[in-house]
Amino acid sequence: MALKPTGAPAPQRLDNPAARLLPIATTLLASVISIQPAPIPGYAALAPAFTLMAVYHWTIYRPDLLPPLALFLIGVAQDLLAGAPVGTTALVLLLTRVVVLRHRRHVVNQPFPFVWAGFTMLTGGAMLLLWTLHCLTAGLLVDLPGTVFRAVLTISVFPAASFLLGRTQRAVMGAG
Amino acid sequence: MIGLSPPRRAAIQRLALPLLVLLSAMMVILGKADQVLFESLRLAVTDTASPALDVLSRPLAALGHLVDRARDFVAVYQDNHRLSEENERLLNWQQAAFRLASENARLRELLKLTPEPATTFITARVIANSGGAYVRSLMIHAGSENGVERGQAAVTGEGLVGRVSEVGSRAARVLLVTDLNSRVPVIVEGTQQRALLAGDNSERPSLRYLDTPAAIKIGDRVVTSGQGGVFPPGLPVGVVASVDGEAPRVEPCVELSRVEYLRIVDYGLADGLPKPMPIAARGGRRAESQAGDQLGRR
Repeated sequence: MALKPTGAPAPQRLDNPAARLLPIATTLLASVISIQPAPIPGYAALAPAFTLMAVYHWTIYRPDLLPPLALFLIGVAQDLLAGAPVGTTALVLLLTRVVVLRHRRHVVNQPFPFVWAGFTMLTGGAMLLLWTLHCLTAGLLVDLPGTVFRAVLTISVFPAASFLLGRTQRAVMGAG
Repeated sequence: MIGLSPPRRAAIQRLALPLLVLLSAMMVILGKADQVLFESLRLAVTDTASPALDVLSRPLAALGHLVDRARDFVAVYQDNHRLSEENERLLNWQQAAFRLASENARLRELLKLTPEPATTFITARVIANSGGAYVRSLMIHAGSENGVERGQAAVTGEGLVGRVSEVGSRAARVLLVTDLNSRVPVIVEGTQQRALLAGDNSERPSLRYLDTPAAIKIGDRVVTSGQGGVFPPGLPVGVVASVDGEAPRVEPCVELSRVEYLRIVDYGLADGLPKPMPIAARGGRRAESQAGDQLGRR
């Protein structure tokens, strides 16, 4: 079964509703942060994909608490708010879940470099997919160098995001 | 799903993922085929989220102000020097302006010129630098309740920022001049050539359909021409920043990433913008709601 990979402890039961909602809440927050205005030239084009980081983190550690429906709704809401073609972010987030669940055993309970390497590969694929979708909907080739830069930025910000998410996870859910 | 037995729950989850993937892929295709299909949904979500976005954008803006203040403090001596020089120069201009204004008033009286319609404007805060990687737009915290309408010009003190492309009741989206879909009819001052300022998502939109591109020089001012009737003529847009390559590129007057407050100006020209037509004929409702908005305006 896809949801119970070997080598990982079974997800502990959580009775605290705050803890159960944490993955959805943090992913939503990441999504909102990624559309915030920042007084940095060209920021909108290069804003790191914070949502992708949150989805990656929670799909590795608590996939049961970030169900596909939540990914779909968050993705669609982000597209609607950002003015992007509706469905593109949702598609990328859902496919992220598919890919991460399939390869979860390579990263769960592994040292951080493995987790980061996994995220690097994932971001490469996700950005390429996002770029392709935007090219198809716009009907022309959109900014590829910007996309590459954005991927690099996303990958380099990931350790900090991962640290914060891990800390929050431990603080709210306890060790596990 | 909480009350279901574990195997059923797993089955639903297994099925949900491919179904939702399919659904989002279909949404991408449908959204491409019918541009206005998701517009009402988009407006509803934008309206609902705008208060939250407004609150969340404030800490970041405050941080930006802090950085600006520190920078201002460092530069206070040079700024003072520069400003007093500039003040001297501007006082001369003020004298000239007073003289011209009184002369203008006298001449208007002589000609019995009908005054231009008064422009009204709404000032709004930018609450989301939305658009993500491939769309250049801003979301502002003002909508049809405040009198914002589709097609109105968005400006700052420096010049044109873009135009209002979608309006909800509490929030609206402004399409920036740098966006892929932005086309602004302009005149290049100096040679008085007409051109179309076409955005391509880069920082500098390009000038298209020039008669003699060779005559364009770096530093030429670019202003709106008023053709097409969406923008009034003479609104500053930018300066020519590069001329090599296939088309001259224009650096916008406004530093678009630093815009915090926008003025949405109603020049009474918004009707010049064609309404988007859905594939299925359901245009009547939109036209009516637009007319309703016009009544609600001050």
